[in-house]
Amino acid sequence: MSVEGGGKGWIGASLLRKEDARHLYGHGMFIADVHVSGVQDVAFVRSQMAHARVVQVDKPARHAANVFVLNDIQPVKILEAGPELSAHRHSPYPALADGRVRYVGQTIAACVMPTRAQAEDLADQVHVALEELPAVVDVVAAMRPDSPRVFDEWPNNSYISTSVVEGNPELLGSAAVRVHRRLRLNRQATVSLEGRGVLAYWDHRLDELVVYLSTQGGQVKRLALSRMLGLPEHKVRVIAPDIGGGFGGKNRIMPEDIAVAAIALKVRHPVRWIEDRREHLLASPHARDHTYDLTICAERDGTLLGIEGDIYIDAGAYALWPTGAFQEASMASRNLTGPYRMRHLRLDAHTVATNKAPMGPYRGVARPGATFALERLVDEVARELGREPFDLRRQNAVTAAELPYRTAAGLKLDTGDYIAALDLAREKIDLPAIRRRQVAGEPDGRKIGVGFAFYTEQSGHGTVEFMKRKFRVIPGYESANVRMLPDGNVLIYVGVQNHGQGHETTLAQIAAHELGIDPGQISVRYGDTAIGPYGFGTFASRSIVFAGGAVGKASRALAEKIRRIGAHLLQTDVAAIRIENGMIHGPSGKIGLAEIAFAANARPDQLPTGMDPLLESVATYEPTESGGVFAYGTHAVVVAVDPDSGVTEILDYVVSEDCGTMINPMIVDGQVQGGIAQGIGTALYEEIPYDEQGQPLATTFADYMVPCAPEVPTVRIQHIVTPALTTEYGVKGLGEGGAIAPPAAIANAVADAFRDIGASFNETPLSPRRVSEAVDLARRARGGQR
Amino acid sequence: MKSAPFDYVLARTVTEATATLAQDRRNAMVIAGGQSLVPMLNLRMALPDLLVDIGRLDELKATSATQEALQLGALVTHADIEDGAVPDPFGGLLRKIAGGISYRTVRHYGTIGGSVALADPAADWPVVLLALGAAARIASPAGSRSQSVDDFIKGQYATSLAPEEIIVGFDIPIPGARMRWGTSKVVRKSGAFASSIAVVVEQGDGDFAAAALGAAGPRPCLLPTTAQGLRSRAPQEDLRAMVADDLTALALDGDPYLTRLHTSTIMRAVREMRQR
Amino acid sequence: MKSLTVELNGATVRYEVEPRQTLADFLREQCRLTATHIGCEHGACGACTVVVNGKATRSCLRLAIMCNGQSVETLEGFPNDKIMEVLRRHFHESHALQCGFCTPGMLIMARDILLRLAEPDAQTVRQQLSGQICRCTGYANIVDAIVSAGKALRSQRAALP
Ligand SMILES: Cc1cc2nc3c(=O)[nH]c(=O)nc-3n(C[C@H](O)[C@H](O)[C@H](O)COP(=O)(O)OP(=O)(O)OC[C@H]3O[C@@H](n4cnc5c(N)ncnc54)[C@H](O)[C@@H]3O)c2cc1C
Ligand code: FES
Ligand code: FES
Repeated sequence: MSVEGGGKGWIGASLLRKEDARHLYGHGMFIADVHVSGVQDVAFVRSQMAHARVVQVDKPARHAANVFVLNDIQPVKILEAGPELSAHRHSPYPALADGRVRYVGQTIAACVMPTRAQAEDLADQVHVALEELPAVVDVVAAMRPDSPRVFDEWPNNSYISTSVVEGNPELLGSAAVRVHRRLRLNRQATVSLEGRGVLAYWDHRLDELVVYLSTQGGQVKRLALSRMLGLPEHKVRVIAPDIGGGFGGKNRIMPEDIAVAAIALKVRHPVRWIEDRREHLLASPHARDHTYDLTICAERDGTLLGIEGDIYIDAGAYALWPTGAFQEASMASRNLTGPYRMRHLRLDAHTVATNKAPMGPYRGVARPGATFALERLVDEVARELGREPFDLRRQNAVTAAELPYRTAAGLKLDTGDYIAALDLAREKIDLPAIRRRQVAGEPDGRKIGVGFAFYTEQSGHGTVEFMKRKFRVIPGYESANVRMLPDGNVLIYVGVQNHGQGHETTLAQIAAHELGIDPGQISVRYGDTAIGPYGFGTFASRSIVFAGGAVGKASRALAEKIRRIGAHLLQTDVAAIRIENGMIHGPSGKIGLAEIAFAANARPDQLPTGMDPLLESVATYEPTESGGVFAYGTHAVVVAVDPDSGVTEILDYVVSEDCGTMINPMIVDGQVQGGIAQGIGTALYEEIPYDEQGQPLATTFADYMVPCAPEVPTVRIQHIVTPALTTEYGVKGLGEGGAIAPPAAIANAVADAFRDIGASFNETPLSPRRVSEAVDLARRARGGQR
Repeated sequence: MKSAPFDYVLARTVTEATATLAQDRRNAMVIAGGQSLVPMLNLRMALPDLLVDIGRLDELKATSATQEALQLGALVTHADIEDGAVPDPFGGLLRKIAGGISYRTVRHYGTIGGSVALADPAADWPVVLLALGAAARIASPAGSRSQSVDDFIKGQYATSLAPEEIIVGFDIPIPGARMRWGTSKVVRKSGAFASSIAVVVEQGDGDFAAAALGAAGPRPCLLPTTAQGLRSRAPQEDLRAMVADDLTALALDGDPYLTRLHTSTIMRAVREMRQR
Repeated sequence: MKSLTVELNGATVRYEVEPRQTLADFLREQCRLTATHIGCEHGACGACTVVVNGKATRSCLRLAIMCNGQSVETLEGFPNDKIMEVLRRHFHESHALQCGFCTPGMLIMARDILLRLAEPDAQTVRQQLSGQICRCTGYANIVDAIVSAGKALRSQRAALP
C-alpha cells in the first residue's frame, strides 16, 4: 500500500505486513520447525489424579536412564511466585512432582527418546503409584472451613483474600434498587494454534545453554531459568522463534520449560518437548474461571450507586512464576465500576487454590470477567426499572467533559468520549430497527435479542502501577536498539516479542517516520537474548505504547546525530537541516543518508571532531503517566436464539472503539476482529468442565469447541480517534480489547431475547443447554406458560 | 499424541482382507478412510497390533442402482455422495447429509462403511440408513451375510461385526418417486458431531414413513410412534405428543433439556419434510 | 519399517517409515518440510492440510504408508500454481494472517475451495472453512481474501481469449 512520500506519512498508514511473506511460502520457523541434529523428544508422564500422594514411580529397567524424575534433574531451585506480599501464600511448584500431585496433568516424569512416539511408548511403561487424596474442585466450597486443603500447611485454600472498600458502602444497604446475581465465567484454555514448546542443548562452542522457547518474552524467561538452574545469565541464551499465537498462555515459566532445560544439562544431546493439544487443554495455563456473587445498587431514577459482594478466582493448584493469578482478583475488583459514575464499593476477592491446572493470563486478563459481571448487572437493573438498558448505560457513563476521571477504585480514565462510543454503536446496530423486528417476531420461531457492553482497556501502565500490584518483575519500560548500517539501512532490536501483532511492520513505520526513510529499509528483530536489549515481552497490550515509544525515542536520537553529521558535511547549522525521503537537506545542498551512514560507520575521518562514530542508539521508554492510558469501546450484538435447542447465532456485531492514534489501522482492525473471535469463544463455546473428582472433561477439540469461520461474523468496526496525551504519537494499546466485551454483550443480547419472561443468563459459555435451561426455568417461574 | 506401534498390510482383495483378519492372531483392525481410526490411534484410544488397509479395494467402491434399491459400496466417501458422484435416488437426502458431515477434508476420505462400522451414537449415516431401512452386506472368509442396519448396530461403538468380517456395502430400498424427507441436526459448532440429529422420510401416499434419531442414547434409533403419526398424517401438535412417547421410551436419563432438544430436531425435520 | 514411495512436490522420493507415522510427521520430521503445521493431531484444526492425489487432506489423519504410490503437495510446492499465487497475494493484501501458524493449511484449503467452487461467496467460503481453526484473525480477512481471490481468478479467466 502506498502512502504519500516522506517520512511523515507512515504513521496511520495501513502498510501491508513485512512478516507475511515467510508464512505465505511456508518459511516461518516455529519451535517444532527448529532443527538441531541429534535432538531427542520428551514425553511427560502426567498425573491422572487431581490430588494424590506419589507413592512410587517405577522406571522400566531397559530405559531407566531415559526417564527423569525430580531427583534426576536436580539441582533446580523453585522460585516463589505471586505478588510480593507476605499475605500471599507460597505454593512451591516443582518442575516434576515432588511426592504430591495437585491436578490432572501435572508432570511427574520426563521420558526422553529419539522420537516423540518412542518417548510416549516409554511414558506408557512408567508405572506411577498414586494414593488418592480428596480433591478441591468447587471454588466457593473450597473456601469453607471444612474443605480439604490443596496445601496442608495453609490455614484455608486462599492464596490471598483482599477487600476493596471505596466511598461509603454503608449507603448500599438501603438503596432503592438492589439486584443480586451470581455470575460465572467458566474455565477455559488460551488455545494458541501452536502449542507451547521448548528445545534446549548445551552449546559447547559458545559454552552456554541454548533454550529455544515458544514464549512471549525471552528475557524474563532467561532470568527465571538462570536462577532456577543456578547458571549465570550470560550462560543462558533464550531464543524465541516464530510464535504461533500466545494470548498470555506463553508468558509464564512452566514446569516443562524448566524440566527440559534441566535435562539438557544432564544429557549429551539436544532435547525438546512439543506440547500436543491434549497437553495444552490439560496443563497449559488455564484462564477465566471467575465467580461473582454481587449486588448492584441504584436509585429509582437509574443512578447507579455501587456494588457489593464477593469475587472468587479459581486459580488452580499453583501460582505460576512470576506473578501467579493474583492480578485476576485485583483487576476484576478495580474494573468493576467500568466507565460509570459509581462511587461505592465493598468487595471481597478471593484467589483460591483448587486441584485444577494453574491459571495464567489470557487476553483481557480479569476484565472479561469484570465486564461480564458489571454489564450483565446493569442490564438487570434496567430490566428491574423497566428501562432500555442502553439508556441506563448512557445515563451513568462518564462524559467527555468529566475526563480525566478517577474511578471509585482508583483507575484514572484518561481521554476519549464514552458517550460518543455508545451512541455510535447504537446507531450502527440500529437499535430501533431491532426493537421493531422483535415485535414482528421471527418466522422460524427463534427469538431476537440485542445486547450492549462497554469496556475499557488499560495499557501503557508503568513502574508505579506494577509496584502497586506488587509484581516481582516490574515491566515498567521497554527498550529499543536502533542501528543504522553503513549503507543507510536500519536494524532495530526490541525486547518485545512479535507473535502475530505485526511489530516488524508497525515498529518499522515508527522508525521510518522518525528517520525519514522507507519502512522497507528497516528490519525489526527480537526474540534472542544474545542480541536484543533487555525487555519484558509482549502482553498487556503494551507493545505499541512501550516498544513503539522506545523505537521512536531511539530513532530520534539517531536522527539528531544524523543531522549533526549532515550539518558538518553540508557545512551548515544543525538547525537548518531536515531529513526527508532518505536525504539530508540543508539550505543550499543535500546529501544522501547512505553517505552519512557510511561516514558514521566506516569513515570516522569525515565526522565532526570529537564525535563518536557509529549510528546506534539504545533507548528505554515509559509513558509519563504510570497509571496508563485507557482504550475503550462499545460492543453491540444481535443474536437469534432457538429456545428449545438453546442454539445461539450471532446475526450482527458492531464495535465502536477508540485506541487513540492508530499506527496501522489495518492491523488495529485485525486485532479487534481477532479478539472478538476469542471473546465469542468465551461467550458461547469454550469450556473445560471438571467433574467432582477433579477430572477435566474437555481434553481434545472433540469436547473443547473453538469457534471457526461460520461461528464468527465479520465485525463492523467503527473508530473514534482521541490521541492519548501521555504516550508517544498518542497511541493506546488495543490488543486485548476485542476479547473483553463479547461475553457481556452476547449474554446481554441473549437475555434481551427473553426479557419478556425475565430469563437470566449469568454463566459462560452460553451453551445450548445453559440457554435452554435458563429459558425453561423462567417459563416455569411464570407458571409454565410457553 | 502419537500412535503406539502396529504393523500394516495393504489388502489387495476382500478375500485377502478377511483371510488376514481371520488368520492373524494379533489384534487386527481394518482401516478404510482412517478419519475416525487415525485420531483414535493418535490418542492411543485404539491399540491394534495390525492394521489391514482396505482403502484401495475397488470391490468396495462399486455402486449400482435398480428400481428397488441403491447399492452403495462401503468405501464410498462422504465427498463422493456430496458431489453427486454416486446416484441419490432419495431426492437429495444423501447429498444433504453427506455435505453436513464434519469438514470437507474429512469427507474426502471418510467412508459410509467406516461410519456404520464405528457406530458412533452421534454419527450421521447410521441415522439415515435406519430411516431408509437399509441393510449392510458383510463379508467374511465363511461367505457373506446381510443384516439390517437396525440389527447390525448393537450399541455405542458396538456392532454385530465379527473380528474377521468387513462391511462390503449397503442395500438401501428406494421408497418410490413421491418420497419426501426432512432432516435436522444440532451441533455445538459447525462440523462437530451432532448433539441431536433427526431424519424423517415418508412416501407421498402414506403407506411408508420412518423417523430416526441419533445422539440420543447409546445407539441411533427408530421412532415407531412418530412414524405412525407421520403415516396417519397427524397434525404437528398431535405429532409432538407422539414424539414425546418415543422419547419417553428412550429414557434420556430424565433430562428435560435432552427431551426439548430432541423434540425440537424431530419437529424441525418433520416441518421441513411437510414443506417439501 | 515399511518402504514408502511418494511423489513429493513433484519429485519421486523413497523413505523407510514406521507404519504408525502420520503423513504430517513424515513430512515434518523425515522430509523436513515444516510448512505443514500440527495443531491438534485429531483432525479438528486443519493446520496440517496438504494435497494428496489432488485432494485436500488432513495429514494428521493419514498414515504416511497409506499414501504409498500417491502424490503429495505441501505449501513448499506449488511453484507455478496460478491459484496459489493469487491466493498468496490476496492473503497478504487482506491481512489474512497474524501469527501465520494456520496459514499453510488455510492456503491449501482455500485452493481446494477455489478448485471446486468457482467464485464462491462469503457465506459459502465460511462454511467451507468450518474445519480450519485460526486463533488470531477472527476469520473475516481470510474469508475476504478467498472471496476476492476467487473474483480475481474469474476475471483472469474471462480475460483469456
Ligand atoms: C473432526 C472430525 C469430525 C467428524 N464429524 C463427524 C460427524 O459430524 N458425523 C459423522 O458421521 N462422522 C464424523 N466424523 C467421522 C467421519 O465421518 C469418519 O470418516 C467415519 O466415521 C469413519 O469412516 P472412515 O472410512 O474414515 O473409517 P476408519 O476411520 O477407517 O474406520 C473407523 C472404524 O470402522 C472400521 N471400519 C472401517 N471400514 C470398515 C469396513 N468396511 N468394514 C468393517 N469395519 C470397517 C475400522 O476398523 C474402525 O474401527 C468426524 C471425523 C473427524 C475427524
Ligand atoms: S493437526 Fe491435523 S487437523 Fe489439526
Ligand atoms: S494467524 Fe495465527 S492461527 Fe491464524
